[in-house]
Amino acid sequence: MCPNSWVIEMALHKELLHPQLNPRRIRPVNQAFMRSTRGTNTLPANPVFADIQTILSVLKATGLLPIYEQLSSFELGPPTKPNEFYSFFVRGVVHALTIFNIYSLMTPNSAKLFISLRETDNVNQWIELLLCIFTYTLTVFVCARNTKSIIQVMNEILKLDQEVLRQFGIALSNHCNFSIKFLVLIAACQAYIIFLRINALSGAVSPTTYILIGFYAIQNGLTATYIVFASALLRIVCIRFQFVNQLLNGYAYNRLLGKNPRQLQLHMDKFPEDSLYIYRTHNRLLRIYKSINECCSLIIVCFLGYSFYTVTTNWYNLFVQITSNKGVISSHIMQWCLAWLCLHTSLLTLLSRSCGATTHEANTTSQILARVYGKSKEFQNIIDKFLTKSIKQEVQFTAYGFFAIDNSTLFKVSYTPISW
Amino acid sequence: MSQPTPIVQPLLLQFQQLFFLSKLVGVLPQDLTKFRFKNVLEKSRNGMIYMLGMLMLYIVLYNLLIYSFGEEDRSLKATQSTLTFVIGLFLTYIGLIMMVTDQVTALFNQGRLGDLYERIRVVDERLYREQCLVDNSTIAKRIRIMLLMTFVFELFILLSTYVKLVDYTQWLSILWIVSAIPTFINTLDKIWFAVSLYALKERFEAINATLEDLVTEHEKFLTWLNGDDRNNSIEEHAAVESVSQPPQYDTNLEYLYKELGGIDVGSLRGSGSKGKNKVAPIAHSLNSFGESIQSPRKLQQSNATPMINMAHESELSNATKVEEKLNNLCQVHDEICEIGKAMNGLWSYPILSLMAYGFLIFTAQLYFLYCATRAQSIPSLFRSAKSPFITVVVLIYTSGKCIYLIYLSWKTSLASKRTGISLHKCGVVADDNLLYEIVNHLSLKLLNHSVDFSACGFFTLDMETLYGVSGGITSYLIILIQFNLAAQQAKDAINSFNSFNDTAGLVGAATEFGNESSSLFDLVTTTMMTPLN
Repeated sequence: MCPNSWVIEMALHKELLHPQLNPRRIRPVNQAFMRSTRGTNTLPANPVFADIQTILSVLKATGLLPIYEQLSSFELGPPTKPNEFYSFFVRGVVHALTIFNIYSLMTPNSAKLFISLRETDNVNQWIELLLCIFTYTLTVFVCARNTKSIIQVMNEILKLDQEVLRQFGIALSNHCNFSIKFLVLIAACQAYIIFLRINALSGAVSPTTYILIGFYAIQNGLTATYIVFASALLRIVCIRFQFVNQLLNGYAYNRLLGKNPRQLQLHMDKFPEDSLYIYRTHNRLLRIYKSINECCSLIIVCFLGYSFYTVTTNWYNLFVQITSNKGVISSHIMQWCLAWLCLHTSLLTLLSRSCGATTHEANTTSQILARVYGKSKEFQNIIDKFLTKSIKQEVQFTAYGFFAIDNSTLFKVSYTPISW
Repeated sequence: MSQPTPIVQPLLLQFQQLFFLSKLVGVLPQDLTKFRFKNVLEKSRNGMIYMLGMLMLYIVLYNLLIYSFGEEDRSLKATQSTLTFVIGLFLTYIGLIMMVTDQVTALFNQGRLGDLYERIRVVDERLYREQCLVDNSTIAKRIRIMLLMTFVFELFILLSTYVKLVDYTQWLSILWIVSAIPTFINTLDKIWFAVSLYALKERFEAINATLEDLVTEHEKFLTWLNGDDRNNSIEEHAAVESVSQPPQYDTNLEYLYKELGGIDVGSLRGSGSKGKNKVAPIAHSLNSFGESIQSPRKLQQSNATPMINMAHESELSNATKVEEKLNNLCQVHDEICEIGKAMNGLWSYPILSLMAYGFLIFTAQLYFLYCATRAQSIPSLFRSAKSPFITVVVLIYTSGKCIYLIYLSWKTSLASKRTGISLHKCGVVADDNLLYEIVNHLSLKLLNHSVDFSACGFFTLDMETLYGVSGGITSYLIILIQFNLAAQQAKDAINSFNSFNDTAGLVGAATEFGNESSSLFDLVTTTMMTPLN
């Protein structure tokens, strides 16, 4: 038994020396990841993050994300000077438009916009509009500040992918197809809202009103798009965490129940080496997770506030409509409210779900590790080290430190409007 | 290890009555014959069709009930605002929604439920191998008590309401029986959950008890060693040595123990042995324990002779041997935690709907009780609120279900956390470096086994939530009563206005007052939950 395992060890070391030659030991556990595109390693022309390409290009074009250069299939470079200037220029235009809009909101011209919509309360409309403008402006500012860290985060993710590909021959896919669906949803909702709003306008409409409405819709749409982008990033990280967990799960005692002692020995021999890799990857993922949190949390807080407000007022309006008119519900306001509710609730659900899933995956790692039972002292020490580290390291995606974002937040958010 | 005959009784054996009843009323779709002969829950197409049929029947009957009893409501609807109507409708249908959630979830989970009990059986087997027996017989008793209580509550509420508050001269009033169906089915479903949860809690407690037993045995063993020391000079020497030098403790002790055991056998056989050693086993078996046979708690092995017991009680002092056992216990603990999580996943939507139902119904019942005392009319389905006594019973029944589930979840999660404490006791009492390392390692693992029960991740089921919910109910009740009071006052004002208008109408100046009062009346009807008499 002993020499046998020794030989295996040697073979492993050899493989480690030439890692690029043969993707080593692909476990049955990882078949879920195996299926995904095996050929991407030979396609440098293939853009990185192909799944969220559409959303990336939208965000790039509007200056929210830097127009980075793709150095290789696993590395991104900083944007070139003209591109940087373009982003800068776009942001300048955005700020100018914002100032123009605030100015035109002050003029009596805009008053028509509100009064035509709802007789009950224009204050709500005002606050909503200002919140939207504020959220978007903040998004632009924060994005401009975080240009470098976003590229860094992306690079870290890519580096991790590269390592996984080299060590296990697995190209991790991202499963971020939801981003395009959400993009379409956002566009459709916003277009519908514009349509409703213009429909409701009566009399002569000055071009500034059109600009106001159009820019308002764009602001809403882009903030929402950024939230979808953040969710996509979280999903990407979540899938990496899942990969780590699955790798670790191969060593859990309940997977090894049927094996005889010799097989077990052979299997466990790989554990120290793998665990080292797993810990490193887990730590890096945590770091990535944290930096994503830092990049996005301010925007997310603002968005949550805005969206919470919108959802509440819209519910309120719906109820007022249902109750005051004795069943005769104005279809216009009904559609309006439903469009807003649909947009915001779906975004909130997406955000809290992806945050919750990632947090759950990150916290599961230690639970899975607790299921690994090593015979020798060495294994136990390896396990202990990690477990001790993760005792008080509960990972959470917080909204700027105010509260953790997961399902319970969703519950609270939906609970409060009911009581109001 | 695969044995043709099961070494432990499956847990489901205790569920027989509950299963037959559940099958009959359509709570579970699983196969009846397989359950009867093999005690397993398996998918069944016929069961599914039967259950869907029952579900349809219940929905039709319930709607019929609402229709036939809602006549008085319908006349009131004209004066009600739409909002009140919608809320009333929601309150009426929440019971049905809850029942449909239960049944549909049971349909979707019909394959997975069987796996869950299979996993529990495997856990029981492993526990048995670690000589840690779980007594399932109390579960059957528990189920019987719960069923009995369900019947008593349901029948009491149904009959007393029927006799006191329903006009039973009409034959349609028999439909009132249907009003008990949703709660009854829901309770049956929750009994499954509660009893399974209780079984898990018992398993956690069995693990804890096993660990505690190890501790007490070792303590007895230590006192015996000390007591023995005073008698025998040679053994005293060895014992003191072994105590004072922890690293060599276990090997020395084992040696000592074998020696003692061997001598004991020898003395029983009647072969030659030294006089001083003869005393030791007797002192051991009688003096230190005060009882002749010391079997571990719950270990009902009849062939346990004093010799085997002696081998047992040194378990903690033999680190390598006990490591295996502790490892196994730890793994079983993890498996039970996983089963708990899976169980929580299976019942997450039913629990969510139950909690929503409990909250709403509790508030509504109390509010309608208030309305009834003020002689205001209430929705016909809540007529039980007219009698305070029946209301109290309804409230106890509804809240009992919710609180018991929350309490049990909380207790189970506490029991799972207690294992770490018990494990550390072992480490402390053994006072052995090697064992201490093992304990440390395992307690780190235990720390990462978490079982928290939550409703879809929205809120956890623990006492904190219970406190929050009770606070919520109180504040909503106060809000509702204040609205009601305000509406009452406004109504009085309108009445006085109207009487004033009537007199003023003779004079001929009623128009503007009339407009004003009608708009005020609109306001009143929109803010009120219930119509006024």
